[in-house]
Amino acid sequence: MILRSLLLRHGRAALPKPPSPLRSWRRYLASQVEQIHTNPQSSQNYIPGGTSGTETQAVSSLTTPNPTSPSSSHPDQIKLDWDFFHHQKATTRPLGTSLTPHYKPHELLSNPPRPEDITLELLLASQAHIGHSTSLWHPANAKYIFGVRGREDPIHIISLDATAAHLRRACKVVRGVAERGGLVLFVGSREGQAGCVVKAAKLAGGCHLFTKWIPGSITNGQQILGKCAKRVVNHLDESVPGFEKQLLRRAAVKPDLVVCLNMLENYVLLHECALNNIPTVGVLDTDCNPTWVTYPVPANDDSLRCVQVIAGVLGRAGEEGQAERMRNARRGDYPARQDHGLEAPSEEDVDAEPLEKERALLLAAEAFEDDEAVGVKEGEEGEADHVDSSLTGAEGPEDDGGSVPYERDAAIEGGADGRVEFSPTVEQGSKVSDEEEWDTKAEQESERKPGPGRREGS
Amino acid sequence: MGRYDFAPQRVHAHATQLLAQKRIANPPPWYNIIAAIPPAERLTRPPLQRSQRPGGKKASRLFKPLRLQYEEDRLRWDYFNDHPWELAKPRVVLEDDGRDAEKWDWSIPLDHALNRPKSGATSEEGVRLDLEWDGIHAQQAGRPINGEAVVQRTNDLLNSGIPSSHASTIALAEFARHQHYTETSLRVAREEALATGAFFGPGPLEIGMMLEDRQYEGWRQWAEKEIVALKQLQGSAYTGQGVEGSGQDAALEGGTVGGEEGLAKE
Repeated sequence: MILRSLLLRHGRAALPKPPSPLRSWRRYLASQVEQIHTNPQSSQNYIPGGTSGTETQAVSSLTTPNPTSPSSSHPDQIKLDWDFFHHQKATTRPLGTSLTPHYKPHELLSNPPRPEDITLELLLASQAHIGHSTSLWHPANAKYIFGVRGREDPIHIISLDATAAHLRRACKVVRGVAERGGLVLFVGSREGQAGCVVKAAKLAGGCHLFTKWIPGSITNGQQILGKCAKRVVNHLDESVPGFEKQLLRRAAVKPDLVVCLNMLENYVLLHECALNNIPTVGVLDTDCNPTWVTYPVPANDDSLRCVQVIAGVLGRAGEEGQAERMRNARRGDYPARQDHGLEAPSEEDVDAEPLEKERALLLAAEAFEDDEAVGVKEGEEGEADHVDSSLTGAEGPEDDGGSVPYERDAAIEGGADGRVEFSPTVEQGSKVSDEEEWDTKAEQESERKPGPGRREGS
Repeated sequence: MGRYDFAPQRVHAHATQLLAQKRIANPPPWYNIIAAIPPAERLTRPPLQRSQRPGGKKASRLFKPLRLQYEEDRLRWDYFNDHPWELAKPRVVLEDDGRDAEKWDWSIPLDHALNRPKSGATSEEGVRLDLEWDGIHAQQAGRPINGEAVVQRTNDLLNSGIPSSHASTIALAEFARHQHYTETSLRVAREEALATGAFFGPGPLEIGMMLEDRQYEGWRQWAEKEIVALKQLQGSAYTGQGVEGSGQDAALEGGTVGGEEGLAKE
């Protein structure tokens, strides 16, 4: 619109000139930068059909952006533009004001601190020392409290020495559990904690939960989480096909360690973990009960910055554990066999096509009657549980080249070639009888179940 | 103990028992790491206060957290009792790296920004005073000059040996000079802006009055409805129309405060 009136009113001179080769490649600025590379294709002032074209051409070029024109001019146009953008940024960054290092809130999520970055100053800046009013305290937390501050409405100040020590201890635990192939669940249901919870779970290769914990998800897991995705993975985290039929009846995998960022609201979760002998890590404020968790971290759970620091640090510890586990697995050193209660799949199981077709039909029927709620719940729980399937056996040296999970041709012998390791008698018994109590946690099967909107994944 | 459940702390022992009884065939993944890094002690209460006498204080106080007191607390109490509206000024408590308090040097006067020496001025030793001022100002210009700054300045002066009343006088005088300068410059800037065509929205007092008017209007409409309802309630106690001139009815009809005239207006 504007362009049309410009052209009519002022004529050719009003439109910006198209870039000549000379102009593009040598531009002089009144600064120490003498030459800037300009990408002719990405010049924003250029209008196709500019001075010599008609007004309709000029207007149409603006109003109907041609999606194919950037890519049609050069096969790598997008990459060129990207490189040019970064080059421009790097060149012009030192110009102007230089900011001293300061707190950037988004960096707690994009680049969380590491366990070696835990200092008293960091915890102080994150308001980890601020406790609740003295009248609301739990006296069992007395030894984590540095003092009382305030005359009219005094509050407790948490001792940052205790915070740092307990946080480092929790980091070691998370790293060790991740290193041994355990599943860590990060839980933080307050507003604003979703980002750090998801990031920590991603780093540690675990699961996250940022909404309400559904009571019974562990004790009644077969019903509540019975339909969530499950799959079998080998020691290199590659999916192993052929177990879908067995996984159909399985309950969801229970976590090996639970990190809870708001203990008071999630007391049901912590109680279920205690019933099922699952160790827990929790952010302990001055009004929380310290006996609810295995590894308390005395800190301020009301400060989002503090919670993000703690979650970030624990996520980084899990990341280190995962890296160590992968290094060991590639060397052939992976943990001992686990009680998963699975049998080696027979030939028709591995050939999954007819079964997939059957299952797709079954699931389509189920999806028709189920709500979105089931799908949403599954997605939120993130219980795409995976486990190092110890199907490839525990004897490291005897195995040959561990990346091949299972072969149809191999005979199912009781550990004859060291690749397949079953003792069905023991595991069947334990599997069936211990449904209520602590299930053999080692079974980490997951079945890939295509939901209403999901594709059949590998 | 009765009210406490120690199952979270006994996770490893429980797993050991399950293994011993062959309820589970293999230990869980966390078994060895939790053996190596056991959970911390729980429910112990070490003495927190310092006992003054060899016999110690009474046990009930000994195990309670310590009350933290600093010298600046007394200065804050004195200052903010004398200047309570300084507490209404907003204060940024966000810290960058936890060492923010080390940045500010409270031996520099609070009105340092107003005391630049003349360009080219030199001290007896030949030190260029204006350049020295520039150097200090580059570091300390970001100091927040508020009530807390007065307290810190007073504390610094006391630590350097100046008697207490004199120290607070100096600090208050510096603060007042700085405040006077900044308030005047703000007022002048506002006047200049108004003179050159700027316009400002309603201030806090005007906004407060607008909110009160709105509340009052809402109350007035509610009150009118209530009056009507009350009249109907009183009228319904009697069957039939009231006789003209009978005492009670006349009082009822004319009794409401400007009711009928007000209703007629609406």
